Amino acid sequence: MAMAPPRKGENWELRQQLNSEYRDKRADAIKRVIANHTIGKDCSGLFPDVVKNMQTEDLEQKKLVYLYLMNYAKTQPELVILAVNTFVKDTADPNPLVRALAIRTMSVLRAEKILDYLASPLSKCLKDENPYVRKTAALCVAKVFDLKPELCVEYGFIETLRDLIGDGNPMVVANAVAALADIHEASLNIPASPPSSPGGSNSPPPTSRPSQALFIIDQATLTKLLVALNECSEWGRIAILSTLARYKSVDEKESEHICERVMPQFQHVNAAVVLGAVKVIMIHMKNVTREDLLKSLTRKMAPPLVTLISSPPEVQWVALRNINLLLQKRPDILANEMRVFFCKYNDPPYVKVEKLEIMVRLASEKNVDTLLGELKEYASEVDVDFVRKAVRAVAQVAIKIDEAAERCVSVLMDLIETRVSYVVQEAVIVIKDIFRKYPHSYEGIIPALCSNLEELDEPEAKASLIWIIGEYAEKIENADELLGTFLDAFKEESYPVQLQTLTAIVKLFLKKPDESQVIVQKVLQAATKDCDSPDVRDRAYIYWRLLSSDPAAAKSVVLSVRPPISLPQTTVAPAILEELITEVSSLASVYHKPAATFIGKGRLGAEEMQRRTLDAEEDVSREKALQTVVAGNQAENLLDFDADDEPTPTNGGPSSSSSRGLVSDGIISSQAIASVAKSTNPLDELMDLFSTASMTAPSTQPIAPASISAGVTGLSGAGGSSDPFASLSGFSSPPPSASGVTSPPPPQQQQQQQGGGASDDLLGLF
Amino acid sequence: MGGSLSKVMEKLGKAFGTKEMRILMLGLDAAGKTTILYKLKLNQSVTTIPTVGFNVETVTYKNVKFNVWDVGGQDKIRPLWRHYYTGTQGLIFVIDSNDENRIDEARHELDRILSDREMQNCLLLVFANKQDIEGAMSPAVVTERLGLHKLKGGRLWYVHPSCATTGDGLSEGLQWLSANVKGQR
Repeated sequence: MAMAPPRKGENWELRQQLNSEYRDKRADAIKRVIANHTIGKDCSGLFPDVVKNMQTEDLEQKKLVYLYLMNYAKTQPELVILAVNTFVKDTADPNPLVRALAIRTMSVLRAEKILDYLASPLSKCLKDENPYVRKTAALCVAKVFDLKPELCVEYGFIETLRDLIGDGNPMVVANAVAALADIHEASLNIPASPPSSPGGSNSPPPTSRPSQALFIIDQATLTKLLVALNECSEWGRIAILSTLARYKSVDEKESEHICERVMPQFQHVNAAVVLGAVKVIMIHMKNVTREDLLKSLTRKMAPPLVTLISSPPEVQWVALRNINLLLQKRPDILANEMRVFFCKYNDPPYVKVEKLEIMVRLASEKNVDTLLGELKEYASEVDVDFVRKAVRAVAQVAIKIDEAAERCVSVLMDLIETRVSYVVQEAVIVIKDIFRKYPHSYEGIIPALCSNLEELDEPEAKASLIWIIGEYAEKIENADELLGTFLDAFKEESYPVQLQTLTAIVKLFLKKPDESQVIVQKVLQAATKDCDSPDVRDRAYIYWRLLSSDPAAAKSVVLSVRPPISLPQTTVAPAILEELITEVSSLASVYHKPAATFIGKGRLGAEEMQRRTLDAEEDVSREKALQTVVAGNQAENLLDFDADDEPTPTNGGPSSSSSRGLVSDGIISSQAIASVAKSTNPLDELMDLFSTASMTAPSTQPIAPASISAGVTGLSGAGGSSDPFASLSGFSSPPPSASGVTSPPPPQQQQQQQGGGASDDLLGLF
Repeated sequence: MGGSLSKVMEKLGKAFGTKEMRILMLGLDAAGKTTILYKLKLNQSVTTIPTVGFNVETVTYKNVKFNVWDVGGQDKIRPLWRHYYTGTQGLIFVIDSNDENRIDEARHELDRILSDREMQNCLLLVFANKQDIEGAMSPAVVTERLGLHKLKGGRLWYVHPSCATTGDGLSEGLQWLSANVKGQR
């Protein structure tokens, strides 16, 4: 009945040796098994034979067997039970190391079958006289809770953990805190359901149901934590600090107290401890109003952060990401430390980019000259991407600091004179942003820009220059000539350039109607007849209609005063920033995204992922069924397509892009979109079905709220750019600005009025 | 170093007549296996909890080193007994003489053990345990109920009354094992 193992081969040999009567032979065999395991050979078949060697005086051998068990318990769940008795015996061993080893190993096996046997040795170890055993056991509780929460309740492990917070040994306190925090977090994710209390001998008190907050930190706990903080290992400190971050202080005095007690952690060598301390202080600082304390806190926060910048690049990058976040909340922390963020020539690109961003954040009147010098230097490096970002940074500084704008512009002009193609193009792109911020200050540089016309070959740069020409058409004598050159190659240009050319020529026409009659007609002709982009075509139609029906309205729409742009203080929404500050030193603060967006629900999202995979599979089959249905319907629709009111072939297609294309220059209100949308054919319903199906697909990412609003208020020639800020700033038809410059959304009322009038015309247009 | 030295010692021991025996001790749950083991090992009566898994101890008795494996007797562990058969020279089957209800169950288990190929040549010692309790079955009854007389294959077997808590009868059992192991080899 025994599944007869083959009587040859290495495993058979090992089996013989593991059952040898000679102790040294067995010990040797175990070493060989572990060696085989480490090189990836499957040794699961030897499980019972290895377990037989578990009861030994030899600590080394015991450790090896335990190691084996940890790795193979999962493959042999029904045999794990053979090890239980030895574990239980070992937890009563006179040697505390053996006791701790046993309880630790037993709780990491994650075999359901032995969990029940774990309870009594665990409660014994939690009360062990040796702190090493206690601290090990404390962590085991969290592991048990993960597998079987009701067991923890039944045996009162959680209460025991709470008692351990008052333990005399700081390491025990730290581990108890870590375990409780873990359990707390896990329990919040468990759907609220009354625990099944098997046995019933020890019915759980109603306050300790696993489905509620299990770790509430009160003032007494706080005192204990603050005492233990200074004495335990770095792991313990991190655990305590993240728990302190959760604590809600009752009054200002307590917040001050916490800040004062946590401050010494800034000096710790471990980066995680430092960031943990920064997090705690950032959180509790909110309640502090005492000026001198606030000042000293910000002053003391700087040196540790600066120290982190000298770590290896990977750590440095994590620190930089966190600093970037912290600066969004409190720009004053590192006000005097800009120098440390200067890029070194051998920094990896990701570090350089991050440093650049931080430097712009730290830019102020006082240091702007040094910064500009530095940025100019970067613009002459070889890494194209980095150079472009440096050029972009110059413009951001100009937009941020009014007083420095002139100096920035002169730096940009210097850069243009270098005649390096990508530098020039990027400079043109960012100068457009400067024009938007300071509309009539730097017209003097326009000729210099125009002289570079031929060198521009990137759509974005071209579009930017065209926008500038259109915007200042009245000041540029040969504007019609310049635009004419673009018009000649209209068909070959990319859509963003076409859109800008169109708009710029219309602007020119509105400003100098006499000279540009011909050119405007040409462009409208070209855009409506020869262009295959619906966006361009629709915009041309609208302009045409506007110009022919009411030039005054056209003027007020196309030449409307645009809201000034400003450099956003934060790159994330304020609410998210608040949330991210509480997540400093975690992955969330590195991604600058709340944890929920990149790990699913549940502990690690594993279950969620599994569920989604299942869903996705279902979806695939559903989608297939839908597709067949759609195929049928589409055929029908195509047949009576001509009978439809709307000739535009895009109305039922990717509806988002078509409505986006209609919305240009702020003419169309959402009302107009709605009216268009309403009249679309039944294909839309099917599209909806599809979009809901694809929503549940696992890869769906939550759409940033900014981009939704952008989609509603209107997206100009940005051509579906994914940068939400670009789409916002692109509202009143300047070229796409991807340089992170945003403008406040335009007044809706005005738009509604205009749109209300325009929407009727629009429909008539078709 | 220490390992090779002990190996030499073991070999020397063999040459000079110290024998080593691998003994497997089985039986239904609560028959008294673990108590017997620790009575032999420590010569004291310990309070035991049900063995989930196994115990292994070396007991030296009259120049013979017994490696005694005591594997738990609960239902769910019984299917795992087979993992311990390899190399066994003697089987000690422990019977709770006071539990007449389950003697048939015990017989069933014993038959199953003895039918295994790896147990074909081992000695069988049955401890009719818990003889201190009034009304316990006598060794003869136990022999009868286990059907030992009908055993095939010329197996050497021996039933001995015992009382684990006092230790009565245990040494006699070991004596029998050590006396008969030679013939086995």
